[in-house]
Amino acid sequence: MSRGTSLAMAKADERCSPPLRSLGSPRLALIGCGAIAERHHLPALREYPAVMKDLILVDRDGDRAHYLASRFGAKGALTDYRQALDDVDAVILTVPTNLHHPIAMECLSRGVHVLCEKPLAESASRAREMVEQASRTGAVLAANYLQRLWPQFAATRELLASGSLGQLLSIKYFVGETFDWPSVSGFYFNSATCAGGVLRDRGAHVFDHICWWLGAKPMLLSSLTDSFGGPEAVAEVCFTKGSCVGEVRLSWLSTFPCRFELQCESGTVKGEVYDFRSLLVQTGQRRERRIALPSGDRTKVDVGRRIVGDFINVISKGGSPLIAGRDVLDSVEFIDECYAAATRFGMPWYGISGAEYGT
Amino acid sequence: MAHRETILVTGASGFIGGWLVETLYLQGCADVRAGIRSWSSAARLARFPVRIVLCDVMNAEQTTQAMSGVSCVIHCAKGPGKVTVEGTRNALDAALRLGVNRFVHLSSAEVYGDVSGKVDESFPLQQAGNQYGESKVEAERLCWQYQQMGLPITVIRPSIVYGPFSKTWTVDLARNLQSGMWRVLKGSADGICNLVYISDLVSGILLAARHEKAAGEAFNLSGPEAITWNEYFQKFNAALGLPELRPMDSTSVKLRAALMEPARSSIKLALKHFERPIRQTAQRSRHAKRLMRYFEQRIKTTPRPEDLSLYDRGALYVTAKAQDMLDYTPAYDVERGLEMCVRWLDHVGLAGQAA
Repeated sequence: MSRGTSLAMAKADERCSPPLRSLGSPRLALIGCGAIAERHHLPALREYPAVMKDLILVDRDGDRAHYLASRFGAKGALTDYRQALDDVDAVILTVPTNLHHPIAMECLSRGVHVLCEKPLAESASRAREMVEQASRTGAVLAANYLQRLWPQFAATRELLASGSLGQLLSIKYFVGETFDWPSVSGFYFNSATCAGGVLRDRGAHVFDHICWWLGAKPMLLSSLTDSFGGPEAVAEVCFTKGSCVGEVRLSWLSTFPCRFELQCESGTVKGEVYDFRSLLVQTGQRRERRIALPSGDRTKVDVGRRIVGDFINVISKGGSPLIAGRDVLDSVEFIDECYAAATRFGMPWYGISGAEYGT
Repeated sequence: MAHRETILVTGASGFIGGWLVETLYLQGCADVRAGIRSWSSAARLARFPVRIVLCDVMNAEQTTQAMSGVSCVIHCAKGPGKVTVEGTRNALDAALRLGVNRFVHLSSAEVYGDVSGKVDESFPLQQAGNQYGESKVEAERLCWQYQQMGLPITVIRPSIVYGPFSKTWTVDLARNLQSGMWRVLKGSADGICNLVYISDLVSGILLAARHEKAAGEAFNLSGPEAITWNEYFQKFNAALGLPELRPMDSTSVKLRAALMEPARSSIKLALKHFERPIRQTAQRSRHAKRLMRYFEQRIKTTPRPEDLSLYDRGALYVTAKAQDMLDYTPAYDVERGLEMCVRWLDHVGLAGQAA
């Protein structure tokens, strides 16, 4: 994204958001009633009874929408989101990734605010269109890249920004989690609906952190995946930015310690992806020490609640969301580049030669 | 079976089922249908542009739907005892009704029970005293009943299958070896470890599925070498580049196995009723997490009495029938098989990791 576009968007955000159509609490629709809606968004919304009593749940599977509406005490259920758009101020989009763009564009064009699940869209060009549409209409486009708010990542960013560690020299970031998300529709693996594999899914957070820490999109050096035409389950990406080089390994096929390690001129930061309470930091001549993180957020559910709460607050009172759509454009673009440049790992157990992991 | 016929693999998200689907795809058999129980287990298969269908074998209607239009079923789905037996019954029912040309059933060498010496396919089926073996015997008996009803059945009895994606004999064993707590079990693991590398097994299954005269037959499938379990542990350990395994005498091994049983049961019970608070405690306290990890490792690296019974077994599963009739020739010796295992473990980030 050019600096000019970025500034134009930032200015557009300073305009007034469309006024609420309702007096009092905003009226919301939650579009897409899959596992993420049931596990994260609806429990978070339950903490806002005034919002919940007017909430409309939308899903092509009407039975599923009705079931969740009655379970969580929402106002009602629909099978077509268009029926809800005249009556709501905002939507939370938890549909398969390929539907983020068309539905968000329609909502935003009508001045309906959007909180969109990650990844923002299946390509940077589509994500950019969404951001531009939000700028034009003044509607809020918030992105649920909640891991930015996890204390371990936010604290790392603060440490880098403080300058106490000097220049960033290397980033290593490993995420290995056997895929077991209880996807109701299977959209992750349906060629018509999936937008990629582990790179687009887990990589959404990982590359968002990296772009955020670096302050810009890095330059891609290499990208290896294990795709035979479907969504990849293992990926390795190498990149550089200025004096910093980086390596990312992602796996949906195995579980190994999920961690990140940043080497700087004057120290190191090491963290575990699921340790919300501490970081290992070494600076100057001092020994490595574990620093406690003071945040009140101790689980991803806590942060999820914060994102939903912030969205409700922003659309009610104005201001910018904690993570706006434009904030994540760099990472969406970088992931596109990873896909465009991807070559396949050598996998001798299938009789396929080529570069292997870590070579 | 013609090369381009439509094949449904049940249990396709499992170790062997997954390999079958992948191999069929890589061989150019485009009409492979991968039957899975739920989408949460589809990540491995979805890398390949194959048709994935929901096929929970406990759901008769879904199984029939998944099987509709296929000419061959390779039935790999299994689960706790009831699932293995009733799921097989549902799959057989659907196959018979739909007129499937061949039903290949993945049984196990466990159906021979705790025997020793050379074991060929003529040995009677008997219980080995474990739930897995019992359910496999029952499922296989069902298969032979359906053969009588006119469904062409081929039964495969694999031995100890290892290779990329194997949880028990590759990933878990590698973790145990990496933990530094695994031992050479002196006098307790000198039985024959009938290893078969996964791609050899898959070749054998496909040869049997494609062979006209294999209907109504059972085949043992094992690898080209007969090494002991202790040798397997040592070879795997060396392939991982780990320091030599220390020995443990037979009395200590048996004592530990017996003493660990009550602890194992108590922890299982505690996890069943208090999993959430236990996990929350681990999340909140690094010390609690470390302690739990230690106990977990201790339990995992202490063989159970039934493991010791397997490691001590002197049975050699003979594959002469498969060699003669199907031209089955296993290509991977243990050294080459383990080399593939280690390269795959590295690929998925599990080589060189302390558990």
